[in-house]
Amino acid sequence: MLHLIKARLVQLVFVLFLLSILTFTLMKLAPGDPVLLLLGADELVVTQDNEAALRKELGFDLPILVQYGQWMLNLLQLDLGTSYIKGKPVLDELMARLPTTMELTVGGLIVMIMISLPLGFLAAKYPGRWPDHVSRLLALIGASIPSFWMGLLLIYAFAFKLQWLPSMGKGSWNHMVLPSLTLGLAMAAVYARLLRAGLLDSLSQEYIRAARARGIAEWRVMLKHAFRAALMPVVSVFGMSIGSLLAGTVVVETLFSLPGLGSMGVQAIFQRDYPVIQGYVLFTGVCVVLINLLVDLSYGWLDPRIRQGKGDVS
Amino acid sequence: MRSFKFFGPLMLSAALLLTGCGAQDQGAAGKSESTASQKEDVKKVTMIYNFKTGSMDPHNGAVPLRAGVVETLVRLENLELKPWLATKWESKDELTWVFTIREGVTFHDGKSLDAAAVKASFERALAVNPKNVGALKIASMEANGQELTIVTSEPHPALPSDLVNPQAAIVQAEAEAAMGSEKFNAAPVGTGPFKVKQFTPDIEVVVERYDGYWDGQPKLNEVTFKFNEDASVRALALQSREADIVYQVPAETIDVIQKDNELRVESLAGLRVHFLLYNQQKPWIQDVRVRKAIDLLLNRESIANDIMLGNATPANGPFNSALPFGSKESVTSLDIEGAKKLLEEAGFEAGADGKLGKDGQPLKLELLTYQGRPELPLMAQLLQSDAAKVGITIDIKTVENIDTYLRENKDWDMATYSVLSAPRGDGGFFLNSAFLPGGSLNAADVNIASLNSLVEKLNGTVELQVRLQLTQEAVGIIKEEVPHSYAVYPNIIVGINERIVDWSPGAEEYYMVTHKMDVK
Repeated sequence: MLHLIKARLVQLVFVLFLLSILTFTLMKLAPGDPVLLLLGADELVVTQDNEAALRKELGFDLPILVQYGQWMLNLLQLDLGTSYIKGKPVLDELMARLPTTMELTVGGLIVMIMISLPLGFLAAKYPGRWPDHVSRLLALIGASIPSFWMGLLLIYAFAFKLQWLPSMGKGSWNHMVLPSLTLGLAMAAVYARLLRAGLLDSLSQEYIRAARARGIAEWRVMLKHAFRAALMPVVSVFGMSIGSLLAGTVVVETLFSLPGLGSMGVQAIFQRDYPVIQGYVLFTGVCVVLINLLVDLSYGWLDPRIRQGKGDVS
Repeated sequence: MRSFKFFGPLMLSAALLLTGCGAQDQGAAGKSESTASQKEDVKKVTMIYNFKTGSMDPHNGAVPLRAGVVETLVRLENLELKPWLATKWESKDELTWVFTIREGVTFHDGKSLDAAAVKASFERALAVNPKNVGALKIASMEANGQELTIVTSEPHPALPSDLVNPQAAIVQAEAEAAMGSEKFNAAPVGTGPFKVKQFTPDIEVVVERYDGYWDGQPKLNEVTFKFNEDASVRALALQSREADIVYQVPAETIDVIQKDNELRVESLAGLRVHFLLYNQQKPWIQDVRVRKAIDLLLNRESIANDIMLGNATPANGPFNSALPFGSKESVTSLDIEGAKKLLEEAGFEAGADGKLGKDGQPLKLELLTYQGRPELPLMAQLLQSDAAKVGITIDIKTVENIDTYLRENKDWDMATYSVLSAPRGDGGFFLNSAFLPGGSLNAADVNIASLNSLVEKLNGTVELQVRLQLTQEAVGIIKEEVPHSYAVYPNIIVGINERIVDWSPGAEEYYMVTHKMDVK
């Protein structure tokens, strides 16, 4: 296990290095820079000479490699730089936004688990019968409705019609209900179907038949034997989608007026706030790699054969 | 049966969890978010604005002014410059200004406003926001009692207008030293009718009444100024009574809102203008008759009514006609025959296919547009369609970043564009930026000698009435030379609960929370 962790940490350095080069190059190739915004050209008298002077001052006229080198040098000193637009350290910005993103992620996961577990279990227990059809229909609806539309529907129902929940803002746990539902419903659709497929697969295995033959209670067979094995594909997909969950929730953040990492990243891209974009991409990269490491470690718990170095994982 | 024993409780617990959430939500939400209309005994109002802010630093954003926390020396009233924290001002020479600061004004911490406090505030404004250095051009200041003398680094006749800028707001700079910058930037100490109670970055600022306000006690106890960038959610918040005033409700929800007896919508022309830029480097565009012909093909009424669903006002010049220097002439109507005539005069003839051309070359123009403002590509399509009726071929090209494209490419003929042409009630900004060679908004390389000399004259003129007259003259030259074709002034659309009284939105979008606003 230690070997795996070491290998992944080395891998992390390479991934981040490649990610930073790719982002930096794409960012610089995209048209535009933050100079007009910084000068306030939309409402103050600014000349093209002022623009050129600021570009030079910020080093935008230097070759991309030199600019990248300067940024990397700072990064090696653990300095992610300062936002051009807000004038604050990028790390502070990331840390200020992280709690909201974490709340949103955890809320979405709770909703996802609460919905996908019963749906997945029912569909696997009664394949081809009405619980399976209902589960499939709900999954189809959940996967088909875009999150902005789902969010608006939820706001319409619970904030406007029923007036049970606030439509926006932050402060108490009830502010997080609708955003969590919006995020969780879409995820639940996918995971319910994955869980169903995983359960059906493991229920057809010999060891399940053997367990039942030994007279083990059905709930024990389902939860202890089948469910654990069925979690493998679910956990794998979760590991791959954690990036979008952590930083790709911009629609939900905009709808519910929640200042998370996703909206920070998108705003930075629109404003060409290069240090923030780089910091945001690196941070997400670190999260994705580390969570995938945890996912890999969890395989050992889910399937003892992997832990003991025996058998075929597939 | 055995399986039901397992799944039954599972489903039941899931259902209980969900319904339990709902029941608890109802209670909690009912307590914390019950609508303002149910709390009429407490004079509280909730307002939603369509842009968010992560800081309440008055010198780096407009929300502190909008939320009634800070004020400026000069303000706009009916789009005209009026004294506010300064009672009067005069120019001693081309560089020296003397402002008389209003007496009897106190900051939220109880300290009196005097010239020294204003000086300290300006020093902070210059230190924390480099844009203020260029905008205010302050070289030195001297405070004497209530009299503040400002010496500018170069002649700056538009200084009073630039002091309308929210980022030139007056704060109690000493308080920052005591509080620390972080706290101050969350709750700045100003002179406004409301002081910050709680600020949650990018979500809301709650302001409470400041009893010592110099212009009379504010009528409301508390205002929650929320930020939400989704128009549909803002409209729903108004309809659900979660908010009392909502900025920029979507045009398609106006009818639904109007049908509600407790709500109304106010729509007024703002200070922004959507227009066409002509690239003066392209030979055909250099012919003023071609520009005038295209100007006649711009169907302003249709843009305002069909594309913007009635929430824009057809434009008759670069500046909103409600401004003292805005054009009072009628709006140019679609005139296909007039356009044909002009193009004939310019030497264009229709070919066998009905398309115009000259010297064997078809009259084909490239029109740039961008998605940043969704109505602009539609405006481009409308022009393309009307231009085809006279035989002009227009190719529309959508670009991602219009500002960069305009600067880096010179092969375009026309572009749709949008700008706040008089953000502080003075035309100097737009005339300098969009028409003088080298101006940041002059990517089209407009260079009209008579206009240049007029703008230079304006830049050396202090007296307000003369500035208005010169700006009007500049508008006249612009209408004659047609370096741009002005299409519409987009409206500011505000949804308001009828319980709000003594309040109406302003075209400048600055003074949103006021001491006079009240609830029934």
